[in-house]
Amino acid sequence: MTADREVDVVGKACPLPLIELAKAVRTLQPGQTVRITGNDPIFEESIVELCREAGHEVLETDRRGRTVCMLIRVRPEPGRR
Amino acid sequence: MDRKKATILLQSGELDKALSAFIFANGYAALEIETTMWFMIWGYNCLKRRRSLFAPFRRKVDPAREGAYRVLETDSVLQPLLEMLNRGGARRLPLSRLNLMGLGPALFDKLLKRKGIMTLEELIQSAVDLGVKFKMCQICFDAMGVSVDDLIVPNVEVKGVSEYARDTMEAQVNLFI
Repeated sequence: MTADREVDVVGKACPLPLIELAKAVRTLQPGQTVRITGNDPIFEESIVELCREAGHEVLETDRRGRTVCMLIRVRPEPGRR
Repeated sequence: MDRKKATILLQSGELDKALSAFIFANGYAALEIETTMWFMIWGYNCLKRRRSLFAPFRRKVDPAREGAYRVLETDSVLQPLLEMLNRGGARRLPLSRLNLMGLGPALFDKLLKRKGIMTLEELIQSAVDLGVKFKMCQICFDAMGVSVDDLIVPNVEVKGVSEYARDTMEAQVNLFI
């Protein structure tokens, strides 16, 4: 599945993956998708937490060693909850 | 009703500040409030096992254990060097004021004992006994080359800012010391 936007944060540490994902989400419409790739030791749990708090949906998680690739669907209602 | 929650973030490495943090942590935990202590930068100096000066250079890194929360490929000589200069230990912390090149903490220790106030080591042990949770900042651990086995408290979790944000939002109070 192709994503509307790709974000690569390989080699970057917390909190940069969170910041990059939040910025990417702001450029997208509700329901669009973003794929984020990173290899921070706490990358996956951080992204899962952000999505849970912000209301985004994690569609796919692809783990290749430490590198994790996650496909995320932007929450239906953007803006403040 | 859900159990009340409190979080305390200790960022400073001084004895007086660590004492404050652990006194509050023990207070909250004694009141059956679910207490989580976060540690970053110099904050976990109070939890470090005191080792010899060159121990950081001799320490064998266990990739299976430490690699879970650290990026070992980017380590350099700076990590053990920093550990050598920043050895920490609950009994070796300086005071933020009137340190007097180490005389201050010694006098402070005497003062606490005379007044029947718990020492930092006793407060840390009591926090463990009362079930306080300990969470460490992952980037600080990685940058400073610290292992969870270097710490005197058990069941330490190494987490990121997203978890801290969630913990503090769920808690009724957050202290930053």
